[in-house]
Amino acid sequence: MHQLYLTVGPTRFRLASTWRQPLDQLAALYKDYPTSQDGYADFTVRLEPEKPWRRYIRPSVHISGDFWLPDAAPLPLDQSLLAAEMGMNLQMALGWRRHLLLHASSVEKDGKALLMTGLSGSGKSTLSAMLAEKGWRFMGDEFALLNPDTGMVHSFPRLISLKNEAIAAMRAIVPENRFGPLMKGTPKGDIRHVMPPLDAVNKMKDVAKPALLLFPRFGHDPALRDMGKSEIFVRLTQASTNYVALGETGFRALTRFVDTVPTKAMDYQSGDQAEELIDSLWSKLP
Amino acid sequence: MSQLYRAAASEGLIQHPLDSMTLIFQKSSGITHVVADLVPAILTVMGADALTAEDITGRLSDSYDLEDSGDAADIVLARLVELSSLGLVEQV
Repeated sequence: MHQLYLTVGPTRFRLASTWRQPLDQLAALYKDYPTSQDGYADFTVRLEPEKPWRRYIRPSVHISGDFWLPDAAPLPLDQSLLAAEMGMNLQMALGWRRHLLLHASSVEKDGKALLMTGLSGSGKSTLSAMLAEKGWRFMGDEFALLNPDTGMVHSFPRLISLKNEAIAAMRAIVPENRFGPLMKGTPKGDIRHVMPPLDAVNKMKDVAKPALLLFPRFGHDPALRDMGKSEIFVRLTQASTNYVALGETGFRALTRFVDTVPTKAMDYQSGDQAEELIDSLWSKLP
Repeated sequence: MSQLYRAAASEGLIQHPLDSMTLIFQKSSGITHVVADLVPAILTVMGADALTAEDITGRLSDSYDLEDSGDAADIVLARLVELSSLGLVEQV
């Protein structure tokens, strides 16, 4: 078994794989991240053949680890990087208890965090990647970690996962040497990972005060709308993978967040439009 | 004789008003309930007492500006039945 230790934000992962290929790809894309030398990890992700002969014959990668889903379908070996990323997501979603996890992207400026959450296809990941190239610090495109004691957002800056049309859009503003391999025909369509800017990795221990929450929606005329606090609360419980598991701690963290963080629904049709709307809101924050 | 109801102990619930709705976190089950206007008022006037729907309606009339509606007790009773199924009040 080959293995690799990776530290992303507050989390230490051990990745173990039957094949070298996914770990070599991960090591290259996470080359600027700290590795753990003491053998300690919060979570283990294992990439193994579904059956022993599938190591060699039409090799397929089965994701397992400390936490797993019994019906997760294996992926072909050329999508093993995606399998590793999915495995890390799964450990966080099912096992992390130190923070309230919100399925949201986040970027930071002047110590304040902008969070974006919404359904798949809302553009939250692409928007965070785009803003990261325009003066914002990238904090993560998958999970925002909300500290229940302090109310601060912790960074979890994994690789940025671009899907379908977003790949070409980001290729126009990010140099080729920050891209991972193009994986075509995955269960989520075409996927290509991008290394976050170096600044995001170097400052991944820096926390930020949540200052604005957006629910972006791509493909509609540009508009900003107020939302009722009840709707915001309910949608955030749906966006959290561990709200129920955290019990009273999660309730207190989320109610504080909803009471204090200004929130808008944002419709947009292009990155430029979204940036303009975000700038207009950001400039009016206290 | 009318059915008596008693609210779950207040120390076991955390009420948090938002806009038109109120959240009630129930510590024993870990469930978050999202309830509309009348429910927090019902739980407040019930206190720790065992009361009928009519008693509760009377207390609500004393404390709140209820609309002059003849079916107020029926509405309160309907809420009590729902709250009872959620474990937020119990039948005594």
